[in-house]
Order: sequence, then structure tokens, then C-alpha cells
Amino acid sequence: MRKRLAVIGALAMALSLCATGASAEEATEITLWHYFDASADSEAIVEWVDEYNSIQSDIHITATYVSREELMNQYTIGAISGELPDIGMVDSPDMASYISLGVFEDITDYLEAWGETDSFYSGPLSSCMDSDGNLYGLPQNSNCLCLAINMDLLEAAGYDHAPTSLDELSEMVAATTNADDSVYGFAMCCISTEEGTFQLLPWLCATNDGESANVDDLTAASAVKGLSTLGDFVANGYMSKECVNWTQADVWNQFAAGKAAFAEVGTWHLAQTDAIGDAFNYEIVLLPTGDEGTSTSTIGGENFGVCTGAADVEACVEFLEWLCSQEKEAEWAVTAGKIPTRSDSEPEYTYEVENFEVFVDEMNYALARGPHAEWPTISEAIYTAAQSVFVDGTDAADALATAMETITPIVEADPIPEM
Amino acid sequence: MNKVSLSMAGKRKREAYCFILPAFIYMILVLGYPLVYNVVLSFKNVNVKNLTKGGSVFVGFQNYIDLFQNPTFLLVLKNTFVFTIACLVFQFTIGFAFALFFSQKFKLSGPIRGMILVSYMMPMSVTGLLGKNIFANAGLINDLLSKIGIAGPEWLVNTSTSMIAVIIMNCWVGIPFNMLLLVSGLTNIPGDVYESASIDGATWMQRFRYITLPLMKGSILSVLMLGFIYTFRAFDLMYIMTAGGPLNSTDVLGTYSYTLSFTQFEFSKGSAVAMVLFACLFIVGLFYLRLLSKEDD
Amino acid sequence: MKTLQTQEGRKNLRNSVIALIIAVIFLFPIYWLVQISFKSDVETFGKELSYFPREFTIDPWLVNLTDPTFLVSLRNSFINGFLTMGITLLLGVPAAYGMGRYKVPGGNVFLLTFLVAQMLPASLTLTPMYLIFNGLGLLGTHFAAPIAIASASIPFAIVTLRPYFKSVPVALDEAARLDGCGSLRAFVSIMIPAVKTGIITIVVISFLNGWNDLIFSMTFNVGAEMRPLTANIYKFQNAYGTKWNCIMAYGTILVIPVVLLFIFLQKYIVGGLTAGAVKD
Repeated sequence: MRKRLAVIGALAMALSLCATGASAEEATEITLWHYFDASADSEAIVEWVDEYNSIQSDIHITATYVSREELMNQYTIGAISGELPDIGMVDSPDMASYISLGVFEDITDYLEAWGETDSFYSGPLSSCMDSDGNLYGLPQNSNCLCLAINMDLLEAAGYDHAPTSLDELSEMVAATTNADDSVYGFAMCCISTEEGTFQLLPWLCATNDGESANVDDLTAASAVKGLSTLGDFVANGYMSKECVNWTQADVWNQFAAGKAAFAEVGTWHLAQTDAIGDAFNYEIVLLPTGDEGTSTSTIGGENFGVCTGAADVEACVEFLEWLCSQEKEAEWAVTAGKIPTRSDSEPEYTYEVENFEVFVDEMNYALARGPHAEWPTISEAIYTAAQSVFVDGTDAADALATAMETITPIVEADPIPEM
Repeated sequence: MNKVSLSMAGKRKREAYCFILPAFIYMILVLGYPLVYNVVLSFKNVNVKNLTKGGSVFVGFQNYIDLFQNPTFLLVLKNTFVFTIACLVFQFTIGFAFALFFSQKFKLSGPIRGMILVSYMMPMSVTGLLGKNIFANAGLINDLLSKIGIAGPEWLVNTSTSMIAVIIMNCWVGIPFNMLLLVSGLTNIPGDVYESASIDGATWMQRFRYITLPLMKGSILSVLMLGFIYTFRAFDLMYIMTAGGPLNSTDVLGTYSYTLSFTQFEFSKGSAVAMVLFACLFIVGLFYLRLLSKEDD
Repeated sequence: MKTLQTQEGRKNLRNSVIALIIAVIFLFPIYWLVQISFKSDVETFGKELSYFPREFTIDPWLVNLTDPTFLVSLRNSFINGFLTMGITLLLGVPAAYGMGRYKVPGGNVFLLTFLVAQMLPASLTLTPMYLIFNGLGLLGTHFAAPIAIASASIPFAIVTLRPYFKSVPVALDEAARLDGCGSLRAFVSIMIPAVKTGIITIVVISFLNGWNDLIFSMTFNVGAEMRPLTANIYKFQNAYGTKWNCIMAYGTILVIPVVLLFIFLQKYIVGGLTAGAVKD
């Protein structure tokens, strides 16, 4: 019996060797690292890589999941040791730092020859550039932030429509808070990581009284109004102070559990609405961050780049071009609950169709973070300012002035590029 | 005769080196380079802008001078000492009390002593998550407090209470650890020493003061020393439970140096923080050696 | 005689009650962890705190156990634990013996080196160690992480075992020598048994160091086939946010093998206790 098993095993092995042997002769082995960890996108990336392996014979790609924290450490250490994958995924605001650290190859020439970079939205594409405008990768997906509303709670408070200005939002947040039921009017994430900054920026860069400010000018009155409004939410008990420890996933969990009337949520949450089911009616609207009818949001998303020392740079770029082609961009957006990075891609969402439209619309008002090699330091200054308002009750103007003490010298040395 | 004993002594020395050197060489190989690497890095100005493009230069003690003028760093330094000293005091005294208690012979002593070690066995990452859960505003701790009529604070949100929560979680792990090390020290005290003391009519306190403590001195010193090292360089617990926040109130040297190096890409500043951490421990290490050599004499 | 017995009995009872109270306080968080792992998502995020699952579910466990790489990760965690333990015992115990029993010139230098060795925070030894291991071709092998972890548990073994070896009566190994034992044999057959309780402590703790390691295993081995259980924690955190039931099931899974191992060894610790470590 055992002998027979051994024979079968040997046969199977021989067969599998034959199967791969055919293409192994020329195909270069390429490693791709990603941190897609939701079930839909983590499966999709493997399928897509298989598909690409089958349609060409220059390279054979193996996709490996590496958690986000781990991947960032690997890039940092890889910048020093030179040990990097061939193709790597990166969170868009971090890309500028890794470009500066030499993690990614300059692939401008290849992409110019390709000639499709003009089809990409400028915000996501700019996150793949250094300060001279050279390209180091392609944006693969994007997302932004909108306002999710628990319509049942809103109606119970006597309103029949969504807020369209910051003042109206403030009023409704106050009215929907119900301490006895431990329901808060508003929930957002203000944790001391990049996630916190991502969620704070729309309020800091909002249009208030016809004025708006950028990250290099946060002491402006419009930014102060945004932050002090959020600070009032916390001080008045409309928003839990725990937002300083919440991740965006925690915020979504709070909203889905019916513990928050309004929440600042991301595009990817539309793939998780089954957590709400029939528990309550919800709506997605533009973030009412400032004056009546205005909105601001932040662009998020992931880029793919070719790492320094990759086995076959040209072939890797070809894969990126395929991955970010017009057709594939649209397909990915549907699979993973994201927004395409190209204006010519038209995803046909099969679920939450109207809500995706809101997010696509919000992209028009969404701001890019940086790109700046020292973005992490700028980001730290921003979430620290907000935390000191929420936790210590610091005056918003003072907190932002402190943040600018860190930010101003950085942006004076290397200005943030104008969009 | 003299010649023989000399060669005997030489042989003993060689024997000793045979036992010690393999471990010694291993440590030098694995950790010598990282130490040198960090020292060098801490005297340069390597950051995100010049790591690969070149242009980093030696800046002498500038990184250290900057650190000691940086209020965040001073807060982090204070946090590290508060955390370490509070943890050591509670872990050691309670751990020692438990060790003495459980070294008595009674029915449940063995099984329960084993059971409470489970908290020490959990990975710190899980402990950190558990801490985040039970110290949440509407978490277990506040629920229990409200049952006895106390309105619990927002533990992990307020800068004044977050450190207390982290210390409690760490003690939950550290008390069994101290107990484990001290119990094995206690069991190595020959039982007949106590028996003869009992016959002499010594009270419990006298036995503790004159027999247990002196015989345990070596174990106690090493437990305190190790406890200090492990607590002072804490990382995982804060990283998972609070991410050093809110507002750096639970940031310690370990997490701060990590953030500087791996999140802010301020490699040289991160190294300088690590060297400060190292220097503090080094001083404590020297102190420990002095106590040990006193004991040896 | 009778009063003495009832006194003993009362003391026994009192101690047992105190021990039980201590156990409840220390184990309640563990209970908390386990009970959350059997709750449904809805109940985990419910508005009211419940002390036991109202609706008992094993879904959070299935999420973890059906992960395709679960068994491989389990194996890797054991490899990490046992290799770390092996390296620590092989190098740490002899060194502790050498430093506890012999007076050597420069003994303090050795001790200081061992102490200093574990003072560098792991986050900062990562990059230089990576460079060394890369040079030695150790990256992506099962040895990389244990070698790094052992660099912290060897000093631990030396510092904790040294006093034990010191406290063993000189008569014991002199007798062994008179019997014609070589020093290596005296060490193995006389000294190690004499400090058995200390050694078992090292066995447990060095295994745990390897089993619980996160940062070294994560950094030195990236592929899924090399990943230990601990490294999956980020995966769960990122994918689900703080989905407590899944995370707690995962935490329980991580602790179970260790508890089993410990229960097995606990017998020996209690054994060592009753036998009396050293008799002269």
C-alpha cells in the first residue's frame, strides 16, 4: 500500500514538474507583495496574477500577502539592505517617502512610451511622483470619505433630509445624540496614525465663510472652525472621546451596530454593508464639512511600484500597465469596492450602486495628501493637534498653531506641489 | 605541590572558559554589530532625504542635544521611568508574596500556582488587545466598577489614566513571572534550614528576615534586574493597546524610537533614543554587578 | 495532637480560599477572552455588556481554524519555540554553570556583556540583524528568528540560573570528582539534576519567547509558509477592525498549546518541589 502511494506521489510530482517545465525555461520569477486582506480583494489579486501568468510567458509572478505594518518595515529595511520584492504595493501617502528612500525604480520612460498616463486622475497619479514629476509606479485603486447616516435615528430626531452644511450637521449631531441609549451623534477616527489624519483633513481643509486652507496654512480661520466644531462634538458628548483610539474599522463597527447616527466612512465600507443588513436604513451623502453646498474629502488608495533591483523592470512595468488598464481598473473597482484611478474606466457596480455614485462624485472634492517625503511628520503634527483638542480641551487655534511650528519649516524647505 | 595546584588552577580556568565562551561568542556575533551600527547611526543625521541620495554627515552629539530639548522626548523619558518603577514595585512585592504563599503546602497550591501563570504565557500582542477591550469606556472594568457604585474613568482616553491602565495590564503579566522565578528560588532553599530554625523558636517574620531573604538574595537581585530590563524596554503592550497615545501619554522609549525610525524615517534620531534607553539600562546593569560582587565577597 | 491537626486543617482551608480568590482575579480576564470568542458579531458590539454568550456560536473559531495556512503556522510556531529553547539550553546552561561555579578572571565582563546584550530594544536591532542574516543566507529559513530570539533568552538563562549553580553545595561536585567524573560528566549528571527546577523554568520561558515572538519572525520571514501564528494578528486586525470575537478566538488558540505544554511540565516542577532540590 505504502509503495503504491509512493509511486503515485512520484508520478504527481513528475507531472507537476512537466506542467511548469514548459514555460519555466524563459519566464523570469517575479515576486509581488501586497496587503490586500479583505476576502474579496485578497482572492482577486491571486486570480489576476494567475491570469496574467497565463497570457504571457516573459515573467511568472507570485503574489505574497504581507501585512501592512510588516510591508512598511520591509521597505524601510529593504532601502538599507537592498532586499526588496520585484513589485510592491504601497499606501498612497507613504509612497513619496519610499521613493525618497530609493525603494522604487523610476519608470517614467516606460510609462511615457505606454502613453496612457493622461487617463489617470491627477490626484492619485501625483502620489506616484517625486518632486521633479518622475513616475515610480501607478495608482491601482482609489477611495475617499463620505458621510454615512443612520436614517432611522435621524428621523426619530425629527429630520427628513441629510445635512448639507457643517452648521446643519452640528445641529443634527446634537439632536441625534442619546446618552441613555449610548448613541452618539457622530463617529470618526482620530487615532494617532495616518488613518487619523486621513479622516481629519476634510474638516481642516473645508470651505468656511468662503475661505479654505491647505495643509501648509492650518492656522487659517476656516481650518480652526473645522477643528473646533469637532472639538465641540467631543466636549458636548456628541462624539465619543474614544475616537482617539478608534481605527476606521472601529468607526464602521460602531455605525453598523447602531451606536452612531452619523459616521465618516470610506468607499471600501460599501463592500461591508451586509453587517448592517435590515437593522436600520442608511444613506451615504457628501461630507458636509463647511459652507452650505460645499464638501471636502481626502483621497486614499493604493499604488503599485516596481522595486529597485527588480529582476526585469520592463516586464514588471508591463504588468502594472495591464493591472491598471482601462478595463482592469473598472473590474477591480467592482470586486474590491473601490473607485477606479482612471477617468476612462467605467465600473458597473452590482451592489450599492447609488452609494458608489456618491463616492465617485465626492472624488471631485477630495484632496491628495502630499505628495511629500516627510508626510509622516506632517501627519503626526495634524493628528496630535486634534487629539490635544479632543483629550485635553486645548483651544483649536492654539493646537493648530503648535502643529504649524512643525509643518512650516518642512514645507518651506520642500513645498507641497500644487494640484 | 605548588606546581600541581597551579596547573590545577589553570585547568579549572580552561574548563570555565569552555563552558562560558560559546554563549559569549554567540552574543558578540549576534548583537555586537547591531550595537556598533546603532552607535554610529546615532552620531549621524540619516533621514528619509539622504539615506540613499547620500549627503549624511557626522553631527556629533547634535541628535542627543536635540532630544533633551524636545518636550515630547522628555515626556517619553518620564513615562518610561514611571512605567518601569510602578510595574517593578507591584510586580515584585505581589509576586514575592504569592511565591511565599504558594510555597506553603496546601491542597490547591500546586494547581492554582500553575493556573495563574497563564496570563504570563499569552503573547503580549493578545494581552494588549485584551487590555484595549476591558479598559474601553463601556468595557469590563468600568462595568464592574459601576456595580459597586463607582463611575469609572475613560481609561484609555484620558492622558492621566491611560498609563495606569497600561501598568495594570503589565502587572497582570509580570506578577506571575516574578512569582515563577522566586518560587524556584525558594524551592532551592533546603527545607532543614527552616526546620532547625523552627526548633529554635524563630517567628515567621524572623525566619523570613534572617533565612529566606539572605538565601534568596541572588535570585531576588536577578529577578529585579531582569524585571527592570524587560519593563524598561517595553514595546508590544503599548504599541497594540494604545499606540503610545493619547497624546504620547503612554509613549515609552521603545515605542518612541520605533516610531521615529520606522514611521518618521528619522533613522539617526531613532537610534539616539535607543542609545539613551541602552545607557539607562547599562547604568542599572553596572549597579547590579556591584551588588553581586559585594555578595560574592 | 488533635488540636494541632484541626489547626492544620483550618490553615489549609484558609489558604485554599485565599488561593481561589487570587485565581478568580487572575483568571477572569482569560475567561473574558474565551467567552467573547463564542459570541456572535451582533452581541460583541451590543449596547449592553454580557458576561456570557447569550447565543453560543463557534463561527469566530472557524474563521481562524479554516484559514488555509493555519496548520503551517502552527508548525512554524512550534519550530520557533523549540529551536529557541534548544539554542538557549545548549549555550545558556553551560555558561550559567561556568559563571556560577568557577571564579574566572574577567567574570564580571562576561556577565556585563550578557546583561548588555538584551538591553538593545528589538525594534532597533532589526535592521542590523537583517543585514547580518542576509549576509549569512539565513533569511527565509527557520533559524533566523530563533537565533535572534535566543540572543535575549540566553542572557536570561544565565542571569537566572547562575545563583542556582552557586547555591549547590561544593561537596556535591567534589564528591563527583573524587568518584572520577570528568568535569563535563559532573556537570551533566550531577549539577543539572541539582538545579532541575531552575532548568525547567528556563525550558518554559525560552519556549514561550520563541512561541510568542512577533517582530523577528515577521521581519526575517515574509512568506506564508514561514509565518508563525502570532504574525497573523495584524491580518485579523486590519481585515476586521477590532472584531473582538475573532481576535479573542485567535488569542485562545495561541494560548492553548502553551497551557497544555505547561500542565505537562508543571508535574515536574511540583515533583522537584517535593523531592527537595538539594540534600547534603
